[in-house]
Amino acid sequence: MPAVLFYLFSALTLVFGLMVVVLRNPVASALSLVMSFAGLAALFISLDAYFIGIIQILVYAGAVMVLFLFIIMLLDIKAEALKKVNAFSVVGGALLAIVFIVQLGMILGGLEAGKKTVADVPIHFEAAAETQKLPTIKDDLAKKSLPDTKLVGMALFHRYPFQIQLMGALLLVGTIGVVILSKREVN
Amino acid sequence: MSPLSLELGLGLLGLVLLLVESFASVPRKLIAYAAIGGLLAALAVIVSGAAGSVPDSLKEFYVVDPLALFYKGFAIIATLATIILSLEYAPIIHQFVATHPERTKEAGLGEFYSLPLFVCVGMMVMASAVDLITIFVALELVTVSFYVLVAFMRRSAASLEAGVKYLILGALSTGLLVYGMSWLYGMTGELSLSGVAYKLAHWEGNSAPILFAVGLMLAGLAFKVGAVPFHIWIPDVYQGAPTPVTAFLSVGSKAAGFVVLTRIVGTFLTPGSVVAGPVIQILLILGGATILLGNLAAIAQTNFKRLLGYSSIAHAGYLLVALACIHTGGLKMTSGEVAAFYLATYLPMTFVCFLILSAMRAKGYGEDIASLKGLGRANPTLGLALAIALASLAGLPLTAGFMGKFFVIFATVLEGYYTYLAIAVIGAATGFFYYFKVILAVYSKPDGPSEGPTPDLGLLSKVSLAVFVAAILVVGVYPDLIRFALVK
Repeated sequence: MPAVLFYLFSALTLVFGLMVVVLRNPVASALSLVMSFAGLAALFISLDAYFIGIIQILVYAGAVMVLFLFIIMLLDIKAEALKKVNAFSVVGGALLAIVFIVQLGMILGGLEAGKKTVADVPIHFEAAAETQKLPTIKDDLAKKSLPDTKLVGMALFHRYPFQIQLMGALLLVGTIGVVILSKREVN
Repeated sequence: MSPLSLELGLGLLGLVLLLVESFASVPRKLIAYAAIGGLLAALAVIVSGAAGSVPDSLKEFYVVDPLALFYKGFAIIATLATIILSLEYAPIIHQFVATHPERTKEAGLGEFYSLPLFVCVGMMVMASAVDLITIFVALELVTVSFYVLVAFMRRSAASLEAGVKYLILGALSTGLLVYGMSWLYGMTGELSLSGVAYKLAHWEGNSAPILFAVGLMLAGLAFKVGAVPFHIWIPDVYQGAPTPVTAFLSVGSKAAGFVVLTRIVGTFLTPGSVVAGPVIQILLILGGATILLGNLAAIAQTNFKRLLGYSSIAHAGYLLVALACIHTGGLKMTSGEVAAFYLATYLPMTFVCFLILSAMRAKGYGEDIASLKGLGRANPTLGLALAIALASLAGLPLTAGFMGKFFVIFATVLEGYYTYLAIAVIGAATGFFYYFKVILAVYSKPDGPSEGPTPDLGLLSKVSLAVFVAAILVVGVYPDLIRFALVK
């Protein structure tokens, strides 16, 4: 990807990310977050991570944000927009964020990995194809295309099936919690 | 038998109980009894040593060493005690969950008795997890279940407020932890703790990125265990949550946080690690600040639950200092085992306090220290049990709490950390002041002539109270009881 596009999408992500915090209207904040996610998705895609890029759009920008907007719709927006800003917490928060960014910047500046581009680290398709057992992934790699969705699936269901089941329990508990907390009448 | 079948079994039991709860109209007490039965069976398997080896496919994520078995047993006992407490506290839960409390009898109790099982599963996996992904997933299972449990009394504003605070700050701390983990993975390319340890011991070049990861991860975990300055959520959440959940948070959640902390700190402090020095410094400073602030802030408290919240902060400080003292050969225990021992002494005394608090609340008493007045006369047994537990929390000799503090202080002496020795002693001295203030209230005359109903306990609670008090006294004289379980 040309460097121009990288800077464009980074700027998009950052500016809209900032607007999420700065804007007073919750709907505007939520929509800014959608834009920020879109910029992030573009960055993922530019790194050849197509699957994560698409998921970023589908799940975050799509499903999660729609839910957010629904919740905001049910709340009293005017009351939220009129709330006074606590100067102390704004200054404190900004200070903390600045310290964090400076620290991050200094560390990133010293990293060797930051000086490489995607072109500097080519994928060795033939070598990778030989290490894989699953025929579909092997074929894709032999054809020099990156089967990223299949690789994610492999990792999730071959390497981490136990953890996936724990996540299942987690989601169940979350669902029960929602029902208990929001049901009109519990018997 | 695979040790994993314990987690699977308890998880399945939780699912079955939820199904029974929704489709059959059995008395909710039976659900609690079934959960207690399942937990007792799991405890028996662990104590008997029948938990075998780990299947090969999981070896990379999951270990079963004495420390893991100890914390698994710990998680089971904490869950058992929580469910027994919930049985005492059931009327209050019902009152604040049901829309029309007078029309229903046991609203929401089925879920309240079965959700702790899922927390227990999460804590048991955490005890064995040795890879970043497993640690994270198990930690989230525990935390998400706690979000639900803390906010469970949905018609109580305090409980909902506690739930929202815990949710937002919990999500923030999880974010810090995951960001730190992703940096660690990015820098080392390893997800398993042993892989990370190897890379840290053979690190060349700039260690700043690793330190950044370490800082973020320690901040995230410090939140989970309630260390200063990440403790701000504790008083409000502890006060607002249903009392059994507060007890579970302060014992179970803390222990689960500390087993992960023990393993992660062990990785960072692996011999030759580039970050060993800074990590010890961070732990000591966090621990020292936590001991001081937790103890000093506890002095001014008038609400007993809030006081126990601050006391739980203070105890986390001792545990952090214990983790920082790595040359504990003189004690014949590792630093992780000193912390585990401390937690084992912390469990019975905390649960005794919360058990009595639950029983009093269910009888209509408040949660202020002042409402404990007259307990020593109304029910001398409960009064004595509470006094013993409080004395143990303060660290009176011949109680379990003294032994826990003694090992930590001894460890600081062995390391030569005299500043932290002084802080620990100051903290303990302050502790005597505010814990004995509560004991004084228990044995003083009630303010008014109005005699409330005598606080009393159910049979199960009486048995567990007796067991816990006996544990406090026996471990206070014979600490090897727990040490054998740890170092076998």
